[in-house]
Amino acid sequence: MGAVYLPSQYGLLLVPLASVQVKPGDKLRITCRYSHIGKGESQTLYAAIGNSGWAGFDEVLHGSKTISVPEDANWNYHEDYVDISITTVISAGVYDLYAKIGGAIPEVISPTLHDVVEVLAETPESEFGEISITDYAKV
Amino acid sequence: MAQYADIVEIVAPAEASQGSRVDITVRMKNTYSSAIGIMVGGALEYGVSPWPGTSFPEPSANVNAGVTHSFSGYFIMPDKKVTIHAYSYYYGADGSWHYDDEMTRAVNLAQEVESQFGSIEIVSYARR
Repeated sequence: MGAVYLPSQYGLLLVPLASVQVKPGDKLRITCRYSHIGKGESQTLYAAIGNSGWAGFDEVLHGSKTISVPEDANWNYHEDYVDISITTVISAGVYDLYAKIGGAIPEVISPTLHDVVEVLAETPESEFGEISITDYAKV
Repeated sequence: MAQYADIVEIVAPAEASQGSRVDITVRMKNTYSSAIGIMVGGALEYGVSPWPGTSFPEPSANVNAGVTHSFSGYFIMPDKKVTIHAYSYYYGADGSWHYDDEMTRAVNLAQEVESQFGSIEIVSYARR
């Protein structure tokens, strides 16, 4: 399970993050808060599920959408969300999560949340194994 | 020095964004010994000729002796710093408007900040 350090009166406090369970066919909605100043513009909000490692973030699934950011005369915070469709491309396991604004050269990248998405194995198709008579009586 | 219609002040913002409406007020005092008609006019100096005018929906008024009247006007901010020229006129006994006073005031072009993102964080994630 992932965790983040938050400042408190006792110093840094380790706060565990709850993981979310998903399976193929689900959507994972990631809500982000970002700060902005300056002219309004349209940008891409992007989020990905994958594995964070020494070589960077190995993305397995991602989602993106265009957001319209209003003009901000001062630094302002805004919130928006992006959905990631969970498909069979991803195998069962525990994954990391991150989000960014922008394209190939991002404007800003979020901290990675570790081990917060648990992908469950797909429920098998309906199948019958055997049948036997357990009783017989006059009705 | 004005003869009768003394421009006391031009009230305007120090800066404005290109294309925005800039509201101004020209305060004018009747220094004559009795009520007279006074009128305001305005022009914008920023490198184009002839100088564009400013709009004053009610450019003239009858003003009592010693009273200061405020004329409200506006213009659209061009793409560079502009100097407002305000002019005053008084209505003479000959039935004509006479130029009297002038005052200037500069309005700088506000620098628009390019779009910039400071930070992003994931605040929640949930199955839909």
